[in-house]
Amino acid sequence: MIEVRELTKRYGDTAAVDGLSFRVEPGHVTGFLGPNGAGKSTTMRIVLGLDAPTSGEALVNGRRYATLPRPMRAVGALLDAGAVHGGRSAFDHLSCLALAGGIGRSRVAEVLEAVGLTGVARRLVGGFSLGMKQRLGIAAALLGDPGVLMFDEPVNGLDPEGVRWIRELMRALAAEGRTVLLSSHLMSEMALTADRLVVVGRGRLIADTTVRELTGRYPTLEDAYLALTAGSVEYGAAR
Amino acid sequence: MNGVPSSERLKINSVLSSEWLKLRSVRSTHHTLGAAAAIVVLGAVWTYYAGTAWDGRDPAGRAAFRAAAPEEGFLPFLQMALGVLGVLAITSEYATGMIRTSLVAVPDRRRLFLAKAGVLAALTLAGGHAILLATYAVSRIIAGGRTMGFNAGPFTADLPALLASGLSVTVLALVGLGTGTITRSTAGGVASVAVLLFVLPGVANLLPEPWGLRVFALFPIALVRQIAGEPVAAQAGAGALPPLVALAVLVGYAVVAVAAGVLSFTRRDA
Repeated sequence: MIEVRELTKRYGDTAAVDGLSFRVEPGHVTGFLGPNGAGKSTTMRIVLGLDAPTSGEALVNGRRYATLPRPMRAVGALLDAGAVHGGRSAFDHLSCLALAGGIGRSRVAEVLEAVGLTGVARRLVGGFSLGMKQRLGIAAALLGDPGVLMFDEPVNGLDPEGVRWIRELMRALAAEGRTVLLSSHLMSEMALTADRLVVVGRGRLIADTTVRELTGRYPTLEDAYLALTAGSVEYGAAR
Repeated sequence: MNGVPSSERLKINSVLSSEWLKLRSVRSTHHTLGAAAAIVVLGAVWTYYAGTAWDGRDPAGRAAFRAAAPEEGFLPFLQMALGVLGVLAITSEYATGMIRTSLVAVPDRRRLFLAKAGVLAALTLAGGHAILLATYAVSRIIAGGRTMGFNAGPFTADLPALLASGLSVTVLALVGLGTGTITRSTAGGVASVAVLLFVLPGVANLLPEPWGLRVFALFPIALVRQIAGEPVAAQAGAGALPPLVALAVLVGYAVVAVAAGVLSFTRRDA
């Protein structure tokens, strides 16, 4: 479970996240929606202990990320598929992470197989397409077989087959009782993948609801999203 | 997940082996070590060149012949190459974004940084000493029976300078790691190492005496000679610092660099 409580992150005068509170429960795919600059990525970085909040807190399984005894076994995350050293092979990249997390090397071959990268495991990551890097990032997130998973725009750069694969993976992970938080700008895809939705704008919570509730009130999820976030679209408010 | 026994916590050995794989699985490590090892070849060429000059002298000229030891003359090249390795050990992670992936795997930042520093220190200590010893051995073999000055003493007499030189290489690598962490920039880190190695000692020499020599004596390039009990500079007579003090100052550079790196690494957003 992920719990965000009164979270605020300021960069100088601008608040990227402004008193945000929500919970992400296990057993569902929770969509994390909001315009560019709404604070989604900043919130995810704070949950993972990469950025320190100005105030408030973000907890995973009741603890701050940095205090989790075996973080990779608790949480898997894909924030930025490009956040890999291009000069390392896919196998070495995952092996570095597996070693750090005290995870057996046999698991590296398993996750490579699961994301379909076994054939290119020895190739340098720098030569990968964005879609292949997304798959590698998902493999890294799955390494520790964690109960909580966070994905920031995982379908970017994926072909239709990859998009469907991600959708089915997300739903399968949630069906196994895991907590899945997924951000995306693709509303049609979100409508097919997510059960619950957390919608933010300008760092604040706009809605914490279900896909069914919104699609009942509006013709499509896209219409619902555009109606909810009208007035929240503001570029340059945060990084 | 609460109440997990402490034995289940991430082991430092896990983080060390991860950092070791990180270091050896990228080409830049092989390139910087290869560049550093080029001094073996440079030293051989230099000794061969000096040897031909020696061969052309008469007996009086040969007796007066003094050539610089290659492992000493080319030391700054080695220090710079492995200083760059130290910089890249951290800035390659910032440049690619890999640092965030690393920190998600190991959120204990102090542990991650110290593991990185430990692996870097071990690799540069072993690599630096091996390269220096090879340079030393190859040049003595090429010099043969010629009395070229640098090959006058027995190995045991040269050992303190060799060990001090090897240590200085690791110190510069750790300084590179520290400045790379603070600047988060390869250019910034490499420039800092170059300034410490080449620019500031030259500036110190411009100070009025006795301050010029006193300040110059504090820079890594001068500390190696003083640790070995040699004069800090040709014209200066005895070293400005006793060997143990010089050793402490040299190690102090590494301690300050790693401490500053830990502070910067643990306190800022990734």
